[in-house]
This record gives sequence, structure tokens and C-alpha cells, in this order.
Amino acid sequence: MADEGVASHYQVLEELGRGSFGVVYKAIEKATGEVVAIKHIDLESSDDDIQEIQQEISVLSTCASSYVTQYKASFLRGHKLWIVMEYLGGGSCLDLLKPGNFSEGHIAIICRELLFGLEYLHAEGKIHRDIKAANVLLSETGKVKLADFGVAAQLTHIKSQRNTFVGTPFWMAPEVIQQAGYDFKADIWSLGITAIELALGEPPHANTHPMKVLFQIPKNPPPRLEGKFSREFKDFIAQCLVKDPDHRPTAKELLRHRFVRSAGKVEALQELVQRKQMADAKADRIKLPVFYQETLHNISPKDESSEWVFDTVKSVVPARRGTIRSRKPSPSYALEDSMRKLDVKDGPLQATTPGTVRRLTARRQQSSAHQGSVRRASNISNGSPRASIQPKRPLQPDLSFGNTGSTMRLFRRVPSFGSDSDRHSGSFEPLTNENRQPTSFQSQPVEPNSKEAMLGRRLYNKAIEPSLDELHAQTAASAKRDALARLSDAFALLDSVDPEGSYHFLRNLVATASQDTKLNAAILGSQQPPPPQQQQQSKTPHDGTPQGTVIIKSRPPPPAMAPLTSPSKLVMSQDNPHVASQRRRKESVAPEGLSPTKSADREQRDREKMALEAKFPGRPAVPGMEHCKALSDLLYTRWTDGLRARWGNLATA
Amino acid sequence: MSFLFGRARGRANAAELPKQAREHITKLDGAVAGATPGTTKADELSKILSQMKQVLQGTHESEPSPDQIYQLVLSIIEEDLLYLLAVYLHKLPFEARKDTQVILSYVFRFRPPTAPPKNEPPALAYVLDKRPQVLVELCRGYDHKESSTPAGTVLREVLKNEAAAAIILYDDGDVPGSSARGEAGIVRDRPQSGNGVFWAFFDWIDKSSFEVAADAFTTFRELLTKHKDLVPRYLSVNFDLFFSRYNTVLVQSNSYVTKRQSIKLLGEILLDRSNYNVMTAYVDRGEHLKICMNLLRDDRKMVQYEGFHVFKVFVANPHKSVPVQKILLMNRDKLLQFLSHFLEDRTDDEQFIDEREFLIKQIRNMPPTPVPPQR
Repeated sequence: MADEGVASHYQVLEELGRGSFGVVYKAIEKATGEVVAIKHIDLESSDDDIQEIQQEISVLSTCASSYVTQYKASFLRGHKLWIVMEYLGGGSCLDLLKPGNFSEGHIAIICRELLFGLEYLHAEGKIHRDIKAANVLLSETGKVKLADFGVAAQLTHIKSQRNTFVGTPFWMAPEVIQQAGYDFKADIWSLGITAIELALGEPPHANTHPMKVLFQIPKNPPPRLEGKFSREFKDFIAQCLVKDPDHRPTAKELLRHRFVRSAGKVEALQELVQRKQMADAKADRIKLPVFYQETLHNISPKDESSEWVFDTVKSVVPARRGTIRSRKPSPSYALEDSMRKLDVKDGPLQATTPGTVRRLTARRQQSSAHQGSVRRASNISNGSPRASIQPKRPLQPDLSFGNTGSTMRLFRRVPSFGSDSDRHSGSFEPLTNENRQPTSFQSQPVEPNSKEAMLGRRLYNKAIEPSLDELHAQTAASAKRDALARLSDAFALLDSVDPEGSYHFLRNLVATASQDTKLNAAILGSQQPPPPQQQQQSKTPHDGTPQGTVIIKSRPPPPAMAPLTSPSKLVMSQDNPHVASQRRRKESVAPEGLSPTKSADREQRDREKMALEAKFPGRPAVPGMEHCKALSDLLYTRWTDGLRARWGNLATA
Repeated sequence: MSFLFGRARGRANAAELPKQAREHITKLDGAVAGATPGTTKADELSKILSQMKQVLQGTHESEPSPDQIYQLVLSIIEEDLLYLLAVYLHKLPFEARKDTQVILSYVFRFRPPTAPPKNEPPALAYVLDKRPQVLVELCRGYDHKESSTPAGTVLREVLKNEAAAAIILYDDGDVPGSSARGEAGIVRDRPQSGNGVFWAFFDWIDKSSFEVAADAFTTFRELLTKHKDLVPRYLSVNFDLFFSRYNTVLVQSNSYVTKRQSIKLLGEILLDRSNYNVMTAYVDRGEHLKICMNLLRDDRKMVQYEGFHVFKVFVANPHKSVPVQKILLMNRDKLLQFLSHFLEDRTDDEQFIDEREFLIKQIRNMPPTPVPPQR
């Protein structure tokens, strides 16, 4: 796939938002000057999603309708996939709902336009399967377009049916949940739910746990719109929400409904866009646009000493090994990469065997030299609501790999046969710790064994590292970026060697800063947030409260999300090829970008991990098959069978 | 009322449509030189194709007539329209390409209601016997961005048929034993020259833009995983050619997606029971192990992870060859150290953790000097 260079055709500007699996940026196509939206999908962060993403692209690229966001191109850049789409300046209906619910007139227009879009899709044999306010975009002129085809399906025949369980629970049609075979009528149900969402600000059952909703939708009578709305509107929704798909009207039939027939012109929707802009302007907060930055921590140079030894076998193919080692992502990466390498090697703080006290002093010097940056950093993490959105880590996409990568060192798995964890050759460090810049220190990261050390590590993972990344992403001048990168590296080193030290350092820093009145006012602000260590401990007040940019209203509160992971198995069989996507969808059950939910989710995963960790020492050892060749053979066959069963699923997926 | 009129006209002309399409399609060649006349030709052609689609598929309002469909299918075969559509697919306008995809899929699937269900669909049977070039040309749809998705979609449906997959695997130009003279002419034990259309997939996957490459890979995977008799035999006869290309072009591709997906597919191929002999031959080679071990050290975690699932086959193999044992022993300490920290953050992937532990045990308990395998 040779399209590395295509990225340079676009000038990437600020971040627009975060979707189910990617960050969306505004960008300009250099050749035409046209403004586009580019979705960056980090393929490293997903186990099995490449084919699903392909599916999304193939559905999108075969759509040509003014009611569907226009797909333009897609290409790879390293392990990121860029999908270039038409830019819609009005934002999603979910965003536009934030200042308040829509009027019936507006909803009628949106419904009509959505019906046109669905009419087109359904005639093409496509099912969107995830119609909701978050996936309806408006242009600045009021045009309504369907977006996010992440789970859309292409039917091979106009009358064929689907069985896969996808979508977002609150908006799902009963027949989708029951997996009894469904067709394009499922979208009509979701449209009805979306209309309620636009009128009331949230879908029915929004207070219920999403997994519970899955049982309620097929069981309960269909939701109805109550309250002071017109008879036509209520009837329209009742028509959409007919439980039997055979009696539910098609998009074409619904276009003849009085509610949409009497709807006004799309231009009226500009009011919604303007209302949102007004609300944003009025909201008294610093809005820092997050600008796109090329990922820095991308490639860790190979440590020559850790190469495998193949030498005595003469059949080594030198060319091949050469290719592997010399593989560089692109000139631009390479340049920045080499700059960073210089930093690490020449940085004043990279002593090989650092002692706690020396480190701490050295750090103080460093921080006073960069006082300005530090102040900005803490300012951001305390004052601006945007900076506190947890998953925003433009510099470190790899952290989301697997499970929360940032805590991986905290709970290192101890092999059941002991001795290995004591042997530190150190040469493998860059591999196990790859998303950090390769560091020159020779020891494994210290396991935190005191409370202070745990807090220190947590502080680093949750506050220092994200703040530095954030700040780094917002800094343009290369000298400043350079300095920040050094600070980031130095902190990483301190964290891996002496998390306790970083805890004490930050604690002292906050304490001293709070004693100076001017600093206190400038950095810590009037509301006086708790000192960092407490901030980390008390999750609920900080993680649980809406941070301003998001509406929570009555979404399921974080505690209710807790049992999310397991009950899904009740509904979906293991061989459901879309389980993975369902898991992903489930996470986006609450509207995307809901920081509290996400961080609560993370908390929960941490807890789970801790629980898992607790089990390890007592785990029964795998029976010693090594003494018995026959047994080993047998186990091998069984094992490969098991793998095949698993991989067979993937193959058919 | 207009659709009634359209249907009436369609009914009268159903058998005539392919002939008209043929006339228009051959004029498309001029489209490159003079834009305007070409565009109108393309427009007319698009209309005909759209009518054909409606005859075959019906609309939401009207059911298709089986009789009409049969007439149309026969006429399409007669006019050699399958071949022409495959060749000119990339020159058709946007909507016409989608219509063509529907038409081709439908025609390849269509069985007359009276025919016994065991028989292959007539259009497919015709192509397999008389006109294998249709399938080859559909593959060549990957030469162009425009045609890759529709051609790929049709191909993947057709490739469910084993004979159709054989046509593509054994295409080798005019060489005797190639599939060019129909499925019956294939000589399965003759090693391939590496110039047939199947081997072009390697380049399509490695060199094309993302959309084309990704679609080509999906088809490539279908070809290699669907047919449990055809493929093992093919891989055994063409073992060296196949895996040398696979390892150099795909596994070590510069494209992240190609690399990652092809490692995963390699694992799937090796662990398929029907490929048992291919697997044992593969894991005997020291070079293969070296490539695999280098994957474990790739910069990207998912590449490491996929590489692990191939690596484990080498280690778990109870009959390791001497070269494989040598490499593992030479790196024993490094491997043990490496594996004990390998992808440590996959703490919720229990199967992976178990497998990693199993490998560590296996390596730890290897005899200190290579032992010739006994089978």
C-alpha cells in the first residue's frame, strides 16, 4: 500500500472531535483550498478492526447523495488510517442539542432530510444501523447529512436480511436486539427514537442501564412521545416505532406523512447552528483549539545489542534483516525522531544510576529553568475544562493499546516460575516499553511498593504525562517543543526510577506555590482545587462531574456502568463476528466524548486488573508436560485445535 | 406511473438490452480521446445497465419476472457481456459501476427455476468451461481504483465456488495446464511460473492505495482460506514460490496494514488443519523462524502480537527441525527474558498469557543441544 505521501496534500488544522474510533480534524486540501474533515484512525489501538474499517470505507465510497456525508479519500500514514470526508461546519445534532431541545419545526425538517437520506441508502441496499443525533451532521447552511457508517451493512440483495447485533442500545429496534433477522426497517425505528431524542434531549430509557434497555425494548410497548407536542408529531413517532417491522412504514411512505410534508426549508436549521455558536461564545471558558501534531513517540530505534543471534547458521539473508532494521516511516518522522534521540542521549538528566535525592534536586533545577512551561501546564490541567478530558492524548496514541497502557508498569505480571523477574538484562526494555521514547537508563521500572510511590506513579500516569502531552501538542515553536520533550523524558525517567520522588516533588511544588499569594491565585485559581495527591484519590468529584463541554443530563451514572463488561455475553453468542465491534459500540453508548464515563470506565478497568492480578500467585501451574513427549504431542494438537476454533471465527468474520 | 412505463418497456426489450450494451461498451475506447461523445455514450450505457439491473432485481414496489430474467441472462452470455463488463468496468461512470456489480453478482448466482439445484448456475458454468478470462479480468479490476470495489465484491461471491477459485489460482497464460482453456484443462501438479493472475495479487496488495490494497487482500484471503482441498494441494506444489513471495512482499511490506494482515493470515493458513503438511514444512525452515523472530521485535505492538501467533507454532511443534532448534537454543536466554516481558500490558488476554507461558516452558525445557526430530 504505497500511499505514504498523500498526507502531505492536506494541511491539518484543529481537532473537531473524537468519534467511536478516531480523532477528527479539520483540514485543507492544499491543491483546491477546500476545507475537509479527516478522521485519523489509530490502527495499532484495535485488535481486529481493520476489516470493519474497510467495510465502513466501502459503504461510504459507494454513496453519492447530498444526504450522506461525502467520502473523498482514504490512505495510510504509518499505522494511522486517514479518512478524508466532506466538512460540515454545523456540527452534530447531539452537539446542537446542548443549548436546548429542538422545536417541532426544526425536528420536522431534520426528519424529512433524514428520510431522504434513508430512502437513498435503502434503495442502494444499505442499512445504516446506527441512526442517532450524534450521527446526524448539519452544514452551516442547514443541510442535514448522515454520518458515521462504522456499522453500516451492505446487503447483497435488495430483499436480504441481516442478523448481526450492532448499533447503540437506546436506539436499537426490537428485531435487531432479538437477532431474528432484520432489514432496512431497523433504521426507521432508530429514526423515531432520534426524533424523540431531538425533542426531549435524550432517547427513551436514558436513565436505564444500557444492558437493561436491551431487555426492555423488545419486552415493553414501544415508547411514545408525551407532553405538549402536536398530534402529527406524536403520530409520526408512533409510525416509526411500530414493533413489527412488517407493519412499520418505509422511508418513502413516511415522506408522505403530514408531519414532514408540512416541514419548512433547511435554511431554518441555521438557527440551531447559530444558537449553538452563541451558546459557545457566551459560555465563559477558555477554548483552546487542539492543533494537530505529528506523533512523536512513534518509532523506537532498535537496540543493536538486543538483536537475535542467527550468525552461526549460514543461511541468513542479509538483505532481509537490512530491510527490517532500516525501515523508517517517512523522512519527516525520521527527522524529528533523530532530534528526540539527541535529546535523550545528551539531556543533562540522564545519569545511568540515579539516586532518589539527586534526581529530585536535579528536577528542581530543571523545573525552575522551565518555570513558564510548568505554570502553563498546571494552568491547563486545573483551569481549562478541555484539558481535563482524559483520553485526549495526541502524542501517545499507543497508550490505548490493549488495555490502559499507561498503568502497565504498575501491575506487572509476575511469571509463575519466579526467577525471571529478578534477571534484568535490560536490553529488552525498549520493546516492553515501546511507546515511550527509548531511554538510556538501564534498570527496569521500579515497582511501586509504598503508598507514596503508588500515588506518585498514578500522578505521573494520570496528570503529569497527559498534561505534558497536551501542552506539547499545543506548542508550536520547535525550541519550546524541544524543551517540553526533554521535560517529558525526564519525568518519565523519574517515574520509572523513583515514583515516590515524583510524588514528593509535586506535593512540595503545590505546597510552595500555594504559599505565594500571586502564584496561588494564578495557578491554583480561586476555586482552590485539592493538591494533586488528593485529586488523584478522590475520583468521584472530579471524574464524575460534567466538565462543561459535555451534556450529561441523566445519562447512566458511572457506577451503573460498572457491570458493563460481563452482561454482554448474555445477549451475544461468542461466535458473533461483531462482538468486537459491539464491545466498542458499547463503550460509546453514552454520547462520544463523555469524559466522566470514560474515565470511570478506566477506573473500573484498573480495578478489574487489580482483581485479576490478585489471582495470579494462586494460579495452578500448567501441568509439567515437558517430561512426556507423547503428552506434549497430545496437548499440542488440542491446543492448535483450540486456536483454530478461535481463528476460524476470525476468518469467517 | 413512470415506473410502470419503464417496466413495460423493459419487458419488451429485456433480451435486447445486452446487445445494446455491447454496442455502447465497445465505443467506450474512444472516450479517452474525445470527452464529449464518450460521456454521452457512457450515459446511454448507464441507462441500459440500470434497466438491466431493474429487470434482474425488481424494485421495492415490483417483483422481478423469472422469465424475463432467464432471457436476459442467456442474452448476456451470448453477447459475451460478462467479459466486456469486466474489462471496461473501470471506465464506466460511478452509478454504472455499482449497477454492473449488481448485475454480475446476480447473473453468476442465477439458476433457472426448473434446473436441478445441484447444477452450477448457467453463467458460472459457461465461464468456468469456456470463458475463464472473465474471472481473470475481474481480478485485473484491481489495476484501477474505480473498479476495485465492484470487481472485488463480485469476485468474492464467485470464489465461493471451488472451480472458480481454481481458475484464478492456476491461471498461467497460454502455458499448457493453465486454466486459460477452462477448468478441465488445469494440470494441478505442474508448478506455477509465477506470472499468472494469482501472483499479481501480491503487487496489488503491496503497491496499491489503501482502498485497492485492502479489497485485494480480502479477496486474496478468501482464495486461500475457503477451499480445503484445492489450496493445500496448491500450496504444497508451489511451496517455495508462494512462501518466498509471501514473506518478502507481504510479511515484510512497508505498509502497516499489509504487514499486519498478512502475518495474521499466515497464522491462519498454518493452523488450518487441512494445511497440516504445509505447516510442518513451513516450521521446519530456519529462515522462516528468523523472519518470525524479527517480527516479535517490530516497532508496532500489533505486529509483534500477530508475529507471536506464528512464532508459537514453531515453538510448540514437538518435532522441531535441527536448524529451528539451533536458532532457539542460540537465543534461549534472550528469548526467555524477552518473552517474560513480551506485551505485558495484555493483562486481560488470558489465552495469550497462557500461550506465552507455555512457550516459555517449552523453550526452557529444550535439551541443551539440538536433537534430530523423530516422527
